[in-house]
Parts: sequence; structure tokens; C-alpha cells
Amino acid sequence: MTPSRTLLGVAPPQWADAWSGLKAIAPLMPGSALFGLAFGALVNVAGINPWVGNFASVSVVAGASQIAIVESIRTGAPAVIAVLTALVINARFALYSAALAPVFAAFPRRWKLGLAHLMTDQAAVVALQEHERWPDPVRRRWFVVGGALPFVAVWCVGSAAGIALGPVIPEAWQIGFIVPLMFLAVLVPGLRGAPALTAVGVSTVVVLAAHGLPYGLNVLAGAIAGIVVGSLVPDRAAHPDTDDGLAHDPGAGE
Amino acid sequence: MKTFLIFLAAGIGTYAIRVSGIVMFGGERRLPPRVERSLRLVGPAALAAIIANSLLLDQGEWRAFGAWHLAALVAVGVALWKRSSGWTMAAGAAAFAALLLAGL
Repeated sequence: MTPSRTLLGVAPPQWADAWSGLKAIAPLMPGSALFGLAFGALVNVAGINPWVGNFASVSVVAGASQIAIVESIRTGAPAVIAVLTALVINARFALYSAALAPVFAAFPRRWKLGLAHLMTDQAAVVALQEHERWPDPVRRRWFVVGGALPFVAVWCVGSAAGIALGPVIPEAWQIGFIVPLMFLAVLVPGLRGAPALTAVGVSTVVVLAAHGLPYGLNVLAGAIAGIVVGSLVPDRAAHPDTDDGLAHDPGAGE
Repeated sequence: MKTFLIFLAAGIGTYAIRVSGIVMFGGERRLPPRVERSLRLVGPAALAAIIANSLLLDQGEWRAFGAWHLAALVAVGVALWKRSSGWTMAAGAAAFAALLLAGL
């Protein structure tokens, strides 16, 4: 741990924790790159200024809402509608943000403000699932940044490539399948317990039943219904197979 | 210029959404245990909503049964078996490619 071994002002133990975060989210990175490529191709086809397209990926960092904006622009919708549609699609991030508040509580303010921007669905869920393994706030924040920043970087590079190259992926490949697949890969491996299973079931049913709602509001309705109904289901004891001795922690049992 | 302003507004608004809970509930003010318990369901509920909307629906209409559903079933099966994101991505992508090649 000599100062000479620091890289970019970051010491080796912190690099190691960030590396653990990177490894946790790495399986999802090809999905992020491909989704970025698809968004970039859409920007290219729509004839949007390449700089503006790249600015979108860096500033909004939420693929589904960015695609919705491009579609609104293409169909000549008013600017206000384009922005509001995107914000409704992104309203679920308010839920993640509230859930992450106790996870980030002990971080310095500038870390909280910086990490907030990097909280994609995938990074937020990785942080929520794994944070109990990192009780020390310093180690935890390096784990979280390692599991968030590279994923966003891959998204930005993917979309930059798509903007430059255009639709290189043939239509017949139906690259859109990457969206449900990527989210299944985040959700299912860690799925345990009656409340979570109930939340998933209720959310799915409500999204499908409300599929007539405009602006993707059925997604928001499903998520909220899932949370409300799922939290009415009693969580029978901590799960013995995942007990890591932190049963006193209110976050245990995920 | 108009397009830039649209993305700028969406970026600022999205950041405000992302930082809202972290700032409001991040200090000394702890959430009641009941609420914290509910917030643990945010991930599963939100992910399930996105999956249902993108897999079973297509632009708000029902998606015709085919390669998407079958490949997703393979992915779920492997996810429950291996409990690994990497295996899930690989199996789902391979199954989807095979189904498309088979003409489904």
C-alpha cells in the first residue's frame, strides 16, 4: 500500500473493491453495448446531429427514454411531450433512488451526487443486491462505482459506435430481444422469497392488463402495484441458505 | 438546437429523479422499517415490469408467440439453475440465435 503504487490517485485496495463491482456487472455489459449500438443507429437513421446523439447518452443515461425521445422527434411531437414522455419512462429511477438512500447513507455528499447519475437499472439492482457484503462504507462506495461507471462507459461507447456506423446490425437479428434478456439476467438469478416473487407476479400482470395506457405508464403502474402488494406478503424468516450472519440488518433477506 | 434542448431537459429531469430519494432519505432521517422493507421490492418489481413490457408486448400490443418467448424460457430456466447473470445472457442469446436460424 505504498503511495507509489497508486494509480490515478486511487490506492490498490480501492481498485480491488471497484474491480469486484466491475465483475458483478460484467455479464450484462455486452447487453449494454448492443443496446447502445441500437440507440446510436436510430440517431443515425433519424438524421440527428451526432454530437447531440452522444450528448444524449452521456447526459440522460437511460436507453428506453432516449429511444422514446428520438421517436417523438421523428413523429414531430411537441418538445414538451417528448421530454415528459422520457421523464415518465424514467420515473422508476425515483423508486431505485429511495431504495438506495440507506445503501448510500454513509457516503460523502459528492459521492452520492455523482453515483446518482450512474444508477442505471442494472447498476442500481447490483448495488441493492450486493451491498450487504460491503458493510464498510468506503469499500462499499468503491464497489458501487466499479459496478456502475464501466457499465455507463460501455453504453456511451456502444451508442457512439452506432451513431458513427449506422444500422450495422441486420433487422432480421431482432436485436431488441437484448432488452428483456438483459433484465432477466439481472432479475432471476437473485430472485428469492415470497414478497419478491409476489412483486414480480403482480407487476407482470398489471403491466399486461394496463397495456393500453400511453407513454409507457403501464410499466410504472406495474412496478408500483408490485411493490405495494409484495410488501403485504410476510417474509417468513431470513433465508437460511443465504444467511451471512447479518440477520440484524434491516436489509437482510433480499 | 431544439433536439439538443430536448435532451438537455430530459437529462436534467432524469438526474433530478435519480438523486431525489438519495438526497431526501440519505441523512439522519431514517425510513421506517416498513418502508425500507417495501423498497427492497423496487428492483424485482421494476425489472419484472420492464421485462413484461418488452417481452410479452410489442409497442403496447401483444407480441405473437415465437422465438422471443421460447428463448426467454430458456434464459429463465438457466438463471434458476445456475443463479448466474453470465450464464443467463449466454444461454438466452444462444437459444434466440438458434431459434431465429431455425426460422421461428
